[in-house]
Amino acid sequence: MKILINIAFQSLLSRKITVFLTIISLTISIVLFLSIDTLRLGAKKSFFGNVKSGDLILGARSGEVQLLLYSLFQIGSPTNNISWESYQQISKMPEIDWIIPISLGDSHKQFRVMGTTKKYFEKFSYRKDKKLQFQSGIYFEDTFDVVIGSDVAEILNYKLNDNIIIAHGIASQSLHDEFPFKIKGILKKTGTSTDKLVLVSLEALEAIHKDWKTGSKLLSNTKSKEKETKGLDLTPKEITAAVIKLKSPITIFKVQREINDYQIEPLQAIIPGIVLTKLWQIVSITENIMLSISSMVIISSIIGMIAILYSNLNIRRKEMALLRIVGASPKNIFTLMMFEAFLISFFSIIFAVVLVQIASFIFFPLLDRQFGIFLEQKLWNARNLYFLNLVLISSLLVSIFPSIQAFRKSINDGI
Amino acid sequence: MNNVIEINDLLFEWNNKKQFSLKIKELKVQNKQKIIIFGRSGSGKSTLLNLISGILSPTNGTLCIKNTEINKLSQKKKDQFRANNIGVIFQQFNILNYLSPLQNILLPCFFTQFKKNNKEYFYDRTFALAQKLDIKKNILLQNNSKDLSVGQKQRIAILRAIINKPFLILADEATSALDENNKNDFINLLMNLCDEEKITLLMASHDTSLEKNFDTSINLEKVLL
Repeated sequence: MKILINIAFQSLLSRKITVFLTIISLTISIVLFLSIDTLRLGAKKSFFGNVKSGDLILGARSGEVQLLLYSLFQIGSPTNNISWESYQQISKMPEIDWIIPISLGDSHKQFRVMGTTKKYFEKFSYRKDKKLQFQSGIYFEDTFDVVIGSDVAEILNYKLNDNIIIAHGIASQSLHDEFPFKIKGILKKTGTSTDKLVLVSLEALEAIHKDWKTGSKLLSNTKSKEKETKGLDLTPKEITAAVIKLKSPITIFKVQREINDYQIEPLQAIIPGIVLTKLWQIVSITENIMLSISSMVIISSIIGMIAILYSNLNIRRKEMALLRIVGASPKNIFTLMMFEAFLISFFSIIFAVVLVQIASFIFFPLLDRQFGIFLEQKLWNARNLYFLNLVLISSLLVSIFPSIQAFRKSINDGI
Repeated sequence: MNNVIEINDLLFEWNNKKQFSLKIKELKVQNKQKIIIFGRSGSGKSTLLNLISGILSPTNGTLCIKNTEINKLSQKKKDQFRANNIGVIFQQFNILNYLSPLQNILLPCFFTQFKKNNKEYFYDRTFALAQKLDIKKNILLQNNSKDLSVGQKQRIAILRAIINKPFLILADEATSALDENNKNDFINLLMNLCDEEKITLLMASHDTSLEKNFDTSINLEKVLL
């Protein structure tokens, strides 16, 4: 066996250029497949990572995808709000374990500002029930304290106790400059939309909008009014949406129905997982096309490898004949050919893994920063190992044909 | 003298080439004999050598090598029998360029003798024989064999054929690619080694000028039925 490995290895080395090109072709196809698959799963994970927290999302009646996008991903704008009274009434439903109100509308330098409560930091979870953690600072204690996501801190180079001014609306030039906020906490990276959020209390949002009516600031002096809000009733009048966690998932449809039938104002409750799956189905067509293309590339590379093994059979006829004469059995010839196919596939896989690992160090942070796709650099997961084994086994299986051919020829080819 | 090769009523036909057949009524080769087989191209010289080496099996008749009916052995035993008892020298010497000269010489041992754990003996034998044939140790140990001269290649091919101490060497047109000087050197070397190692030699060739170096010559066309 040792001599066969040695012969196979040295024989491959003697055909460096052809073997190298075969390895490169197979390596590129494996890299392509692994990259597309990692991207696909990473994007899916990042997307679904946002929906781990709640069983239902409560919002004003509109499109369910729209509600999901603005409440969980802060994409787009809500068409209507929910009154605080309705929110209070729904939160008293016995089936509800906890409910987190969220209020959207303002922004800070292109980052969305979200009003919420302390519960958001306690209950919000993402990917495999991970909880939010602070890289520095704490949750807001005073009305005008703010907590920022990791991307906000990194991109805007913010530190604890820096002052920031919130703008009214998205990309608005109207600033709430009379209410400067102080950064009280910076969250750790989550790979979800939270990284790009500026979190304030609902009371703070209420306070900064006291002098606003139908989207415009009422005339008043612009000096700091921070102290003037002390003692005022800052209970919000309305919120944008709320994330609901139920005591038992069995009650999900009952609670959803009750919310949808709510008489006082038109509300709706959506199951985020289901809506997201519907949304993902649209994307999955492209995803499947990309996967099919990369699978085809792998198949063609394996066929290329077999073609080379076949074309080498005639060139190596004398070599095989010699091995037979000196005592190698047809089984040895078959094994030798299989070893060669194994070595080509094995080195292709090794090179592909190294390349993808290097690419992951270079491009993953870039993807995270540019597109918010958080990819784990841990490539050695069961799925990838299964795929790499599949490539190895498939290339060995198809190599059986040229190996059998070599085996047959070697029986007849002699001196 | 004992016969090391005995052929009786041999018939060989290719499955897909019905126009060619090799029929030999009787052929006997005695121990330590040096025989050259002549015959025109396509007369079946190489086929006969392949039949004797057990690579091909006769369609009919008997072919005994050292009292062993080789075609009745299993594939595995046939391969082992050949590796242990028969050395072969090819027309182009068939040196594997990607192996070192030493590995080329020891190639037959890798598949048979080394299993018996007497590696040392075969390494020593290779170095001793190489010295006798004026092949320096550094040449034997070089990484590959692609830079060997024709003369070195023929000597490596001879050493590979005798390393396993075979009783029979089959050589197929082993001098056809050589010039006059190299041809003479090769034949002298081969004859001397066959004498020293007490090996029977069966060589197929077109070159009738070689006849003088051999004990007997056979014109294959005359023994064919």
